[in-house]
Amino acid sequence: MLQPRIQGLIALALFTLLLAVPSGAAAQTPQPIQYSHKIHVTDNTIDCQFCHSSARRSKYAGIPSVEKCMICHRVIAYDRPEVKKIAQYWSDGKPIPWNRVTELPDHSYFPHYRMVNAGVPCLECHPGMNKAGVAVQNREFTMGFCMDCHRKRAVSIDCWTCHY
Amino acid sequence: MLDRRDFLKLGGATAFAALFGGCESVSKKIIPFVIPPEDYSLGEALWYASACRQCPAGCGIVVRVSEGRARKIEGNPLHPVNRGKLCARGQAALQALYHPERLPRPLKREGERGSGKFTEISWEEALSTLLSRLKEVRAEAPASLLMLTGPMRGHENLVAARFLRAFGSPHRVAWDPFGQDALLSANEMVFGVRDIPEYDIGEARYLLSFSGDFLETWLSPVHYGRAFGRMRQDRETIRGKFVHFGPRLSLTAANADIFLPVPPGSEGVAALAVAHVMVKEKLTPRAAAAGALWDAGLKEMTPEAVSATTGVPVSAFADVAREFARNQPGLAIGGSAAAACTNGTFNHACVALLNGLAGNVGKPGGISFPNRATAFGRYGQDAPLLAPPPESGYPSVLGAVESMRKGAFRAAILAGPTNPAFTLPPSLKFEEALRAVPFVVSFAPFLDETSSLSDLVLPVPTFLEEWGDDVAPAGHAGEAVTLVQPVVNPFHDTRSFADVLIAAAKELGGPLAATLPWESYRDCLEKAYGGPGGTMEAALQNGGIFSPAGSPSRPAAAVAKLRLPKAEEAAFQGDPDKYPLLFHVFPSLAHYDGRGANLSWLQELPDPVSTAVWRGWIEMNPKTAKGLGIRDGEGVEVESPFGKIEAHVAYHPGIGEGVAAMPLGQGHGRYGKNARNRGGNPFSLLPGNRESASGAPAWQSARVTVRKAAVKGRLVRAGHPEGQWKMENIL
Repeated sequence: MLQPRIQGLIALALFTLLLAVPSGAAAQTPQPIQYSHKIHVTDNTIDCQFCHSSARRSKYAGIPSVEKCMICHRVIAYDRPEVKKIAQYWSDGKPIPWNRVTELPDHSYFPHYRMVNAGVPCLECHPGMNKAGVAVQNREFTMGFCMDCHRKRAVSIDCWTCHY
Repeated sequence: MLDRRDFLKLGGATAFAALFGGCESVSKKIIPFVIPPEDYSLGEALWYASACRQCPAGCGIVVRVSEGRARKIEGNPLHPVNRGKLCARGQAALQALYHPERLPRPLKREGERGSGKFTEISWEEALSTLLSRLKEVRAEAPASLLMLTGPMRGHENLVAARFLRAFGSPHRVAWDPFGQDALLSANEMVFGVRDIPEYDIGEARYLLSFSGDFLETWLSPVHYGRAFGRMRQDRETIRGKFVHFGPRLSLTAANADIFLPVPPGSEGVAALAVAHVMVKEKLTPRAAAAGALWDAGLKEMTPEAVSATTGVPVSAFADVAREFARNQPGLAIGGSAAAACTNGTFNHACVALLNGLAGNVGKPGGISFPNRATAFGRYGQDAPLLAPPPESGYPSVLGAVESMRKGAFRAAILAGPTNPAFTLPPSLKFEEALRAVPFVVSFAPFLDETSSLSDLVLPVPTFLEEWGDDVAPAGHAGEAVTLVQPVVNPFHDTRSFADVLIAAAKELGGPLAATLPWESYRDCLEKAYGGPGGTMEAALQNGGIFSPAGSPSRPAAAVAKLRLPKAEEAAFQGDPDKYPLLFHVFPSLAHYDGRGANLSWLQELPDPVSTAVWRGWIEMNPKTAKGLGIRDGEGVEVESPFGKIEAHVAYHPGIGEGVAAMPLGQGHGRYGKNARNRGGNPFSLLPGNRESASGAPAWQSARVTVRKAAVKGRLVRAGHPEGQWKMENIL
């Protein structure tokens, strides 16, 4: 029989290993449709807020409804395989189950409309999104990152501005 | 060394920790809408104004809607009835909207009538069945169509009444188990006005209540609750005094300064004893009328005589009369328990007489009779249909049930929330009578006792998903027309009652199509209220049309001559030896007439007096119960000459020794999993007696006996916030 302390150490080691495996493999989030931000934003110069239309009004930027996709894709690129998938969701009357990409740390709040209306470009926090294929999160939202910008713009760095 | 056994142990522990250690708290899916709702903005709430339909009070509401979902209901601050307040029943309407047992599609009966077996069918099939039956009935015997609904108001009532009239049938019955017939006929008797008065509780300095339940379920409880708050503590230097006569310490009675227990049905004589002292000591400004009353028999109603029958101390009558007369404006209010005795009109007439004697009719802090129907003058003869008096409709229910049994009806249309199969007394045998009707169609959002007895069930939307309008029966001076609008898109494939009637009228053609000339019910309302581009838009934003000036008042109530109502004693059915206790029933604060029993929020709402949840109970005086060897919380069998049910006893020191009280509303056999198996239905113990002058159901007219019995389950009570009743302090 092993000493309890060594038992504990081995258990801790195994557990740490288990936790480490999934977070170590930083894979791209799979999506039901291979939506490309690059084609829409860079190639066709569509404004971010055309699709993420609640960004200027709401805490959340929002994901466009299937209806909004179909406004264009009834006539544009309707024969592409990925667009056909949208048309399928539309005719089934089902929403597209996107997987979440951008994560904000717990206990902090990021009201999109405050930044958008203050004129902060979207790419400041979502760098490279305009060049991305399937969406990726290229920036970790650490407190330092937020504070740098708040200091530079001379806006509130009070705790309760973000942690409320 | 690590042996195999240890390795497995550790491996198991690690797997366990890994499984339960990292619970995912953030939702990883983002599901946007297929088609977003109008004005939709993620995370942003919109408030829509509408009207509450959880009880007949007709409060205005505002509903917080975000992401196309209704999240919270509050009172509409602009609405004159409730001024931003709302009760628990109104709040719980959200659960009706999201209820998993709602009917999503029309149902067709399978197997026996009443077996509860149905199959889902399409609306096309349902409507063609309905129409072919209606066409058949109309061609052969149009008068054999029955329409039995709950009390309806606004344009919905107009559509229903016009439909039936043009169809050729006079059998329109609106059933409300808690109708105000006795109050209406008492006011007609005393003041010559058959209407519900406005009680200006907020400005009164002295409030006399005779079994009043104005803080619970009576007429417009949110309105009166708010006014009561003003009477007690919202005026500088004035705190109104409140004295309550009644058989039971109810929530309203518990708010009184003085509670004077009287036996059920003797509220009227108690009021007369107060009037006697007022006249004798010349405490009334209406000397001439008082003299006539004195000679007509008021002189017999001495406090001594009334004290002998009611047990109220003689000095109490004198004290109350003097205080009431000297602290004007004073107000006397009768309640539903006083109305639902066989002498209900007498009781209410005596209460009205006190208001007349005190000279507070038409004055602030007193009663007044506003004209509530003026808003719909353009409908001519049909105008009263939009704001009908809140009657029970019991006489026509009795007639209709009798005709059903005789086979006089070939088809019946049932609608509304009052659930006659649950709320009608058992001696009527409603279920059996309904079986004699060859075709029964129900309009209902849930399968309850009544809709389960139909051949065809057509699902209706909840009031949060439909159009409509409403005129509250009390709590405003005639200036409130409330609009109902859908705050969310309908969750299921439902159609409102009025919409189906309008569509059916179109198909049936002829005078029916001409009398209901609208595309839909929404179209009907838009035409009535100036359309979406016109005045209706502002009205929808405000929740209705509330003109601050009020409407022109009707001719003054006749107060010059006050007539003494003919004295009458309450009758109780059952042999006093076999059934020693008077049975006092009251509408449940949470479930009203039983319609709220399928909502878990209301089931888990502790009753303010007994603190019981999720189950019905019977309140008994501890002395009576101990005499029968029954301990608090024990199971009993309650038997009346009409039936027996099981219940649990809740000791209540604030109730007479010869009385047992039960809340109505529980005891459903159907109506979903929250409503079923919650004890017996007290409606099934009640006689079919009628109040002698108005013909309303006399709920307070049975005697019962209570026996100890083994009852499954137990009565769960929340701890009393101020500590449990201390019997030794009260007894």
